[in-house]
Amino acid sequence: MIPAVSADPLSATFAALADPTRRAILARLSSGETSVTELAGPFEMSLPAVTKHLKVLQRAGLITRSREAQWRPCRLQAAPLREATDWMAQYRQFWEQRLDRLEDYLQTLQSPTDSSTPPPTTENTP
Amino acid sequence: MSAPFKIQRLLKAPRQLVWEVLTDPKHLANWFGPKGCRSTHSELDFREGGSYHYCIVTADGTEMWGLQSFREIRAPERIVLVQQFSDAKRGVTTHPMAPAWPRFTLSTTTLTEQGAQTLYALEWAAHEATAEEQALFDASHAGMTGGWSGSMDQLEDYLSLLQTT
Repeated sequence: MIPAVSADPLSATFAALADPTRRAILARLSSGETSVTELAGPFEMSLPAVTKHLKVLQRAGLITRSREAQWRPCRLQAAPLREATDWMAQYRQFWEQRLDRLEDYLQTLQSPTDSSTPPPTTENTP
Repeated sequence: MSAPFKIQRLLKAPRQLVWEVLTDPKHLANWFGPKGCRSTHSELDFREGGSYHYCIVTADGTEMWGLQSFREIRAPERIVLVQQFSDAKRGVTTHPMAPAWPRFTLSTTTLTEQGAQTLYALEWAAHEATAEEQALFDASHAGMTGGWSGSMDQLEDYLSLLQTT
């Protein structure tokens, strides 16, 4: 498990994020650290089930559990999460930019440089 | 089965022209990559069972090879193809930034006439994917289609808060 995580942290992050309960846990933790008991409160599941989700999040580096206090509060770790959101933004951007370019290109083809001839079919842009 | 990624745009051009731009090798290389990219290889065999083998070079000089295999072609309105990351030898490769990304994806493009304009709609799904590949694919676009039911917004607010400090 550990080597796989370090080899591809982004995949580990997304695998951890792929579950709605784990996303809800992260959302809750974004407003501050809290205990496992408190985290389990809104979910209709056993404490061990919640602990299992926490372990997945922990392995992906998305949360840490402090050893300072006896109730071992969970805390959100922002760095891997930021990487994941950056990735999603990039992903959307990729498609938007492709469509931008298609749109521009169609515009070029239809621009009335010489209305008596059909649109050029050769290269217009480098 | 998870929901495919969808994106659409209304293009200010008649459908026939959009179809030509999507399927004619003379046009394809001129717009295929995102902005700032240039095309260095473009080999199209546009028929069912045929393929498009291409290479685009990003602004920072990274080569990205890809191979599309055409499953269904219905002029001038529908193209179904299998997309994969590739190399100069048409091999199957993994995503350069995320090895667990699905090696194969299925893309369905439909063009619908709307007066003098054309609605371009793309649906994109993982194809023959492992559970891990499917999870990564789903998580990557879930945030943009509302599938994360708001929890992602909270996280993003939190992240922007962190970045301002």
